[in-house]
Amino acid sequence: MTDHDLLARLLGPEGPEVSCDACFELLDQYVDLELAGDDPDARLPGMRAHLEGCPACREDHESLREIAAQG
Amino acid sequence: MSQTCQMAGSTYLGPAVSGTNDQRDWISDLHGPSGQREPALADLHALLLRGAHFELARRGLSGRDADDLADQAADDALLAILAKLDTFEGRSRFTTWAYKFVLLEAGVKARRRAWHGREVVLADDVHATAGDPHDRLETSETLRLVRDAVRTRLTDHQRVVFVALALDGVPIDVLAERLSTTRGALYKTLHDARHKLRAALSEGSPT
Repeated sequence: MTDHDLLARLLGPEGPEVSCDACFELLDQYVDLELAGDDPDARLPGMRAHLEGCPACREDHESLREIAAQG
Repeated sequence: MSQTCQMAGSTYLGPAVSGTNDQRDWISDLHGPSGQREPALADLHALLLRGAHFELARRGLSGRDADDLADQAADDALLAILAKLDTFEGRSRFTTWAYKFVLLEAGVKARRRAWHGREVVLADDVHATAGDPHDRLETSETLRLVRDAVRTRLTDHQRVVFVALALDGVPIDVLAERLSTTRGALYKTLHDARHKLRAALSEGSPT
């Protein structure tokens, strides 16, 4: 891990972000927009920043995207 | 009841529950009369069990422990889904909506299982001799500013949460369990701490 990576991990995302609870509420919509080739970050602002800053929600997102892609 | 078996680096999760899950009117079926509702409940539980095994396999868990965790996750997710069924607005596929509940349950249970019996040190300072990444806070001027701001700008609670989550890598669900709080409350604390650290850095001085 570089100093830059460590600093990013410590300080988290810069922009506005949703809460963990809001992330969970929106996660299914976010994933289906991704899988449809839409722009989820334009439709659901604050999600991307939260997923960058919260490892647990990021893992949930990665899992949901993978299994939802299987249909 | 095991549905998983390891196969040459991949995990077989059993047959897909249904090829028409996305087209099915789950809400109508789950609200329907017993003859309609019971099969829908069984199919939903099977779908959730598949999701639980998928999540646990991603984390390298298999065998009887994984089966038990998967059963618990599917059961808990089914209860959560039924309690929130009327809030489903169709903004996503029902299956995607349902999967998120079981992935959360399975992920939380797996993280807590991995840390079961393991001590979580709640430190109120950057450890002087704790090793990476604590030691790394001595390696550059910017990181030293962060270290000093952790010590001088954060409240005691913010410092404990920040050190555990951001430095020591304690999973947030594990810390939430140990502190009898929630993921959301802890992340809010972490967010506020990060905001203070950013402000300190932008001022160029930790105090």
